[in-house]
Amino acid sequence: MSKVLEAENLHTFYGKSHILYGVSLEVNEGEVVALLGRNGAGKTTTLRSLMGLTPPRQGRIRLFGQAATGWAPHRIARFGVGYVPEGRRIFGHLTVADNLRVPAATQGRWTLDTIYALFPRLAQRRTSKGSRLSGGEQEMLAIARALLLNPRFLILDEPSQGLAPVIVEDVMKTVQGMRDEGIAVLLVEQNAWLALSIADRAYVIDDGRVVHEGPASELAADEERVRELAGAGGKQTQRR
Amino acid sequence: MELLLFNIFNGFIIGIFYALMALGLSMILGLNGIINFSHGGFLALGAYMAYSLAPAIGFWGALIVSPFLAGFVGLIVERVLIRPLYGRDPLFSLLLTFGLAMIMQDLIRTFWGATGLPFEVPNALTHPLSQVYFFITGYRVFLVALALLATASLFALLKFTRVGIRIRAGNADLEMVSALGINIYRLRAVNFSLGIFMAGLAGVLAAGRLGLTPTMGASLIMPSFVAIIVGGVGSLVGSLLGGIIIGVAAGITTTYYPAASDVVIYLIMAVVLIVRPRGLMGQEGLLE
Repeated sequence: MSKVLEAENLHTFYGKSHILYGVSLEVNEGEVVALLGRNGAGKTTTLRSLMGLTPPRQGRIRLFGQAATGWAPHRIARFGVGYVPEGRRIFGHLTVADNLRVPAATQGRWTLDTIYALFPRLAQRRTSKGSRLSGGEQEMLAIARALLLNPRFLILDEPSQGLAPVIVEDVMKTVQGMRDEGIAVLLVEQNAWLALSIADRAYVIDDGRVVHEGPASELAADEERVRELAGAGGKQTQRR
Repeated sequence: MELLLFNIFNGFIIGIFYALMALGLSMILGLNGIINFSHGGFLALGAYMAYSLAPAIGFWGALIVSPFLAGFVGLIVERVLIRPLYGRDPLFSLLLTFGLAMIMQDLIRTFWGATGLPFEVPNALTHPLSQVYFFITGYRVFLVALALLATASLFALLKFTRVGIRIRAGNADLEMVSALGINIYRLRAVNFSLGIFMAGLAGVLAAGRLGLTPTMGASLIMPSFVAIIVGGVGSLVGSLLGGIIIGVAAGITTTYYPAASDVVIYLIMAVVLIVRPRGLMGQEGLLE
């Protein structure tokens, strides 16, 4: 199985504070990998390090088998990595259609037409300002925006955050759909049950270090541990 | 009455220069995060290049070529001097552009001399269009029309082209734009250059109206900053309006109490800051 991502021994800082202490992780082709951990464990920082947004001071990153350490975010994105950030960060003052014209133009399966076919709701709202969209619509827009890069690897940070359970269901179906399209997914999720229900493998990170890695099913079986990771209320939105 | 109209129209023309300056300043502040004190220097540069080019390629040629040349110089300045300062304390870029403004002024003195120079406008444009309203010359009407055209083109570019949409997106969240595969170094360079283009254009137009002096840009830049504050930081429409408003207000004041025509600009700014700190069109929370 060929590797989509190999990150080795990442040390990342925000200014002087040391956040990641030697994080290593891998994502294989066709996999959904969950990255779990408590608030402040370093999940978002890991994703930002991989995207080149907060470049690690130490460590190595390979993408699709090629050395990508120190690359600028736009180069990483154009190399086939889609990024859906925490809080979605859509451009609220731009219309839906304009939001979808921001990403670099790429060749491939995902064009405006196929995106609108996948998310008919976005097509209906194409002239609405991003800030007028509901949380679920904003999440769809953030995913659509990343897909327009025709990525081979999608990084999602807390896609279920602030969404109603029904909408979360939709988002997770979309993520699974991505895997079926052959896009590998790295998923950070506060809701551990949810993430484990669709992931193949999982990493648990704590205080900037990977403390567990293994098949998602194995971790899911350790109910107490998952409950601890998920925090209060996580179980309620568990998918069956 | 005629005197009032005369002064309003004069103020309106000056307001257009403020507005063109403020547009560029506002764009550069928005995406590049730079308060460009050297903007007036680029205005003067555009004017003087037009002055030197006009004998060779004529007024019309100089009018078209000089703003582009100014934009090109802006591109080089951005690449060599501004780019290393992104992400640093704003103080660095303030000091740099402040120093650059003085250097540009002295370079102009060195090459073109310290005394004012006239800039010849084609005869076809110098005649008054009306006997009563003698101040409405062809050149002034042309100046207004061209400024409107340039502004409309700029707004269309920002609204309808991909690069324009990316600039607007980047004003809100530049990091996200880079994560979507856009080279933000290039985007910032294009944006800076566009802003300087507007200054260069203002320079050529101002040369035909006010003549050339090495300090022509310096005397326009403070009101242009005021225009941005009155109009609202972060809003290009606001910068445009702010420029026109303070220009016209200064013009009206000239009619009744000429000594106060400079002060009135700052009075308007003070009133706006007290009543509506975000400016007329500014977004909430940007500076509050």
